[in-house]
Amino acid sequence: MDTSAESRVPDALRERSIGRPTPLIDGIEKVTGRARYTADLPSDGALVGMILRSPVAHAVIVAIDTSRACAIAGVRAVVTGQDFAAPYGVIPIAQNEWPLARDRVRYRGEPVAAVAAVDRETALAALAAIELRLEPLPAYFKAADARAADAVLLHEKKKGNVERDVDHAFGDVDQGFAAADLVREQSFHYAEVAHGQIERNGALATYEPERDRLTMQSTTQVPYYLHLTLAQCLGMDSAHVRVVKPFVGGGFGHRVEPLNFEMVTGALARAAGGVVRMEQSREDSFLTHRGRPETDIRLKLGMKRNGEITAVDCEIVQRGGAYAGYGLVTILYAGALLHALYKVDAVRYRGYRIYTNTPPCGAMRGHGAVDARHAFEAMLDSMAEELGLDPIALRRANLIVPPYRTQNDLQVNSYGVPECLAWVERASRWRERKGTLPRGRGLGIACSHYVSGSAKPVHWSGEPHAVVNLRLDFDGAITLLTGAADIGQGSSTLLAQVAAEVLMLPLARMRVIAADSALTPKDNGSYSSRVSFMVGNAAMRAAEALLDVLVNAAAKKLDVSPADIEWLGERCVVRGTDRGLAFASVVTAALVDNGPVTVKGTWSAPPETQGGRLRGAAVGSTAGFSYAAQVVEVSVDQDTGAVKVEHVWVAHDCGFAINPLAATGQVHGAISMGMGQAMQEETQYHQGLPLSPNFLDYRLPTAVESPPIDVHLVETIDPLGPFGAKEASEGALHGFPPALTNAIADAVGIRLTELPATPDRVLDAIVAKRRKDRLDATRAES
Amino acid sequence: MDTMCAFELKRPTNVAEASALLAKPNARVIAGGTDLVPNLRRGLDAPATLVDITGIAALTALDLDRAPRVIGAGATLAHLAGDPRIGDEYPALAQAAAEVAAPAHRNAGTLGGNLCLDTRCVFYNQSEWWRASNGYCLKRRGDTCHVAPHGKRCHAAFSGDVAPALIVLGAEVEIASVDGMRRLPLAALYRDDGAKHLALAPGELIVAVHVPPAATGSHSAYGKARVRGSVDFPLAGVAMAVAFDGARIARLDVALTGTNSNALSLAGTETLVGRAADDATLAALGNLVAKQVSPMRTTVTASNYRRRVASVLVQRLLRNLAAEHATD
Amino acid sequence: MARRLLKLTVNGRDREDAVDDHALLVDHLRGIGLTGVKQGCDAGECGACTVLVDGEPRLACITLAASVEGQRVETIESLAQNGRMSRLQAAFHEKLGTQCGFCTPGMIMSAEALLRRHAQPSEREIRAALGGNVCRCTGYVKIVESVQCACAAAAGA
Repeated sequence: MDTSAESRVPDALRERSIGRPTPLIDGIEKVTGRARYTADLPSDGALVGMILRSPVAHAVIVAIDTSRACAIAGVRAVVTGQDFAAPYGVIPIAQNEWPLARDRVRYRGEPVAAVAAVDRETALAALAAIELRLEPLPAYFKAADARAADAVLLHEKKKGNVERDVDHAFGDVDQGFAAADLVREQSFHYAEVAHGQIERNGALATYEPERDRLTMQSTTQVPYYLHLTLAQCLGMDSAHVRVVKPFVGGGFGHRVEPLNFEMVTGALARAAGGVVRMEQSREDSFLTHRGRPETDIRLKLGMKRNGEITAVDCEIVQRGGAYAGYGLVTILYAGALLHALYKVDAVRYRGYRIYTNTPPCGAMRGHGAVDARHAFEAMLDSMAEELGLDPIALRRANLIVPPYRTQNDLQVNSYGVPECLAWVERASRWRERKGTLPRGRGLGIACSHYVSGSAKPVHWSGEPHAVVNLRLDFDGAITLLTGAADIGQGSSTLLAQVAAEVLMLPLARMRVIAADSALTPKDNGSYSSRVSFMVGNAAMRAAEALLDVLVNAAAKKLDVSPADIEWLGERCVVRGTDRGLAFASVVTAALVDNGPVTVKGTWSAPPETQGGRLRGAAVGSTAGFSYAAQVVEVSVDQDTGAVKVEHVWVAHDCGFAINPLAATGQVHGAISMGMGQAMQEETQYHQGLPLSPNFLDYRLPTAVESPPIDVHLVETIDPLGPFGAKEASEGALHGFPPALTNAIADAVGIRLTELPATPDRVLDAIVAKRRKDRLDATRAES
Repeated sequence: MDTMCAFELKRPTNVAEASALLAKPNARVIAGGTDLVPNLRRGLDAPATLVDITGIAALTALDLDRAPRVIGAGATLAHLAGDPRIGDEYPALAQAAAEVAAPAHRNAGTLGGNLCLDTRCVFYNQSEWWRASNGYCLKRRGDTCHVAPHGKRCHAAFSGDVAPALIVLGAEVEIASVDGMRRLPLAALYRDDGAKHLALAPGELIVAVHVPPAATGSHSAYGKARVRGSVDFPLAGVAMAVAFDGARIARLDVALTGTNSNALSLAGTETLVGRAADDATLAALGNLVAKQVSPMRTTVTASNYRRRVASVLVQRLLRNLAAEHATD
Repeated sequence: MARRLLKLTVNGRDREDAVDDHALLVDHLRGIGLTGVKQGCDAGECGACTVLVDGEPRLACITLAASVEGQRVETIESLAQNGRMSRLQAAFHEKLGTQCGFCTPGMIMSAEALLRRHAQPSEREIRAALGGNVCRCTGYVKIVESVQCACAAAAGA
């Protein structure tokens, strides 16, 4: 028995696992090139899967003749929509998409048939041999056209091609406007944008005909939804499906719903009775899409002279594309998150999600709320100018004091906006510099917020929202088993830190096995910034359960009551004595009665955070809102319209930074993605064909024009978050576009109501302003 | 979807051998491949033979001590951007080379390749599936230009950065074929037809560029409008060479890229000779550009912007070079 | 279909492989197990496939394998020596220059070429050298920091 306790480490000096910058536990694989992404998985002899896509935007499928393709030597499988048992869709009440189109195609690029062949050339030949007979229908590429009274419906029973309309009113909106000193109304237009994850889509499916079993490895953020959907679409018992997530090269929402190619690869593997590899192109990613929709917003705000918001009236139309996907969630988020950033007591929201003959939109980082946040923060800025108020002072006039219940039943338990504003104000030297910069240079500010996981899961099954298992065996290693998909955000690292911290053990003792349905408990997936908060809480509880087992075992071994055990991680002692046990001995003791230990931790968002009075009100509900404020400094070339972001100062209230290194990196990434959308990214279509399905014309930011970004993490210690933590990867994104256009307004006096702020749009606005200024001057003279 | 065809790759070690190979039907030149390979991968060409000229040592030689200077067509863009002798004598050339795409492209891409860059268009630089769905286009396999459906010609835009710089520097290209060598003023290499923008016969190969020594007191520069700080092709690129007599313009040459199917030599600059580079002259020059460029909807950025920014860039270049001259 | 025996020095080892004339360097390298060479776009637009050819960054996805006959090719797999990560690799790991990791091999190879040429580059030079390597995760801040950290480590060594 180990009884020495001479080197007991005081808690304050113990090396903690949380709250310190921690490199990713899978980082070494990434920097050495050893990390295996889906396309890197060994698969000798795998068949090559390929998809045939519709060349037209809207048509009845009269016939798909695959007989010639089937007859080609080396073709092992050809599948069409008829080979699937059911349609799919990530939202259970809105499943209207088939992995391969049946009866109708609804967008250019929609998959219609697929082949598996012994090599690429044969697969290409097979695709070319498939005969499609299509009878064209009128196609609609703009929301307004699809809403026309005489428009053909894309989906039956969806009148006016409206997938979902929302009509929410909270508080007395008319009274709010009546009480306002200033009421303004403005229209905005936002281009559609895409995720641009660098890894291309792909899947590797292995089907064992003898056992009727399917193993799927894929580029997914939601292995569990994929598992369910594979079983559903292939008509298989889900017990016969296994989903494994390899390294994934980013997601940003592109992969938060099962995607057609995944079910197609599964179907091909089954039809061929073997292994099929599907490698998709960058163009395929843009056709699969699921990005942020083209959006029109009309926003009306009422305000007191001191800047206090009295009423909000907002109408939003989203061009949703051809299928439901997450669409109804997107349109609901857009309205719900008008609340919970500021104290607003009267809000009216009308939202319309429209079906069009363009690739389906979906969830993208900042889901639903990014465009509306731009409109809101841009109007706050222009109204502040009219009222002669400092934009920061105006925001301070509208702060929430937690705990706070919003008009739409969202719960705010921690709120770091005051600290965020204070930091960016100081760091950017706002007071000294705002209004004093030379023409062409400007500062802009905006605030933003986001959920730490949707409090109501997509599937209302009643199960816990998150589950983590911890295993302890003879070797003393602790294995954390989670279904959570690490897609680069560092979730596996964070979960290991949380468990290590509770157990007071070094991180080196932890191993994480993530996202293999044969080994790990199900997890809803990596979306809506839910993993740190929800799975982090489950990891904490699992670790507490394991600690309980260990303390009890130590107590039994030392023949004392568990309450007498002082747990120190690598060792424990009987309180107030030198008697103790080394960790290895505790492990041995713990295994004596029952063998290897497996414990479980679960967590669910408390009912009071789940929202609820109204239909659709669960969307936007969360157990913890993150908050952010940022100041953007720009210089604007008034002759070319080119905008350069000189600097960004951003403060993000992440509750508590379990891994400050990763949290800071997430904020950087959110700012960068916000910048791409705000300045240069947009998908454009020619009769439904994407004009820029590549990384040349779809312009992701490069290192050259990307600005320095100073990040400050505000820690408000949320009462429900694990160690007080909230999300860190999305909330700062929403603020960038408005902070940018507010800075441009400060620099050259134009207020952009359309994004992205490409040089042509900026120059148009500058020229229009010059013209107007001249006209005004002429009028003043006459 | 990737639809690159199979072909035979030949790697000659001298120009004569290369010319003989290029005389064969359906043979194409490849050097750095940064333009050609993406196009091949999209099925925009299907050569039977590719003649890789990167093994011909003579093509990478630079002779900067004699007049005219001779720059081998195989010199990489990275070399042109980094060679201080070029930067000193021909700033426009070094600047243009440095503005091409991104570092790895410049390490592979060559002078000859950039001069012979294929024209670009959003209706052309797309996958086989995409173009087939769109009924192809006038430049390849189709009979309609989607940019100007009622027109008779292809409007794809020439987007090489280096050509306008060398045009204003008075360069000639040396062209080899099995029939021997010929020289052509660089400006004459280009035609304003996107489907046939190079005045090269099948089998011809640019082997070198001849540039007259820069006159003492002359100045040159290149300006490029792009959305991002790297990678992008020019929305408009403008090169200028100018000489002053005191404060007056003694000679002025301007060429543009990204706006037309050719590398456009600006006409009418002689009308500005004798004038100071004042606001009126700048405006007149800007007008010349605005009138002569004809950007069409070949990029995702609006064509009227490309016209406007070309006009801004040219004025900026003249202002800057006049200032540079004043401090000489 | 035209094929040839291709001699290359890959990561310090001479090798000879049968390849199609039209084979891309990216496919050839991945085919011989060097899957650290990534492909993120459809041709030369993202930089994920960046490798060094005779010490200079090149895009393997738009380079014909046969066109670099006889040359030295280096991939991310060559940087760790005797099981130890290179300074750049260690810095990208410790400073979080990598998030999802997909652009990382190409990014590090571009940085490697820069540092061989220029031991103490300015931030502007670092950003310019990485201008063709697109990262969607980091906003480049920690990538630049990682390169600077590797320079500092080299200077201190």
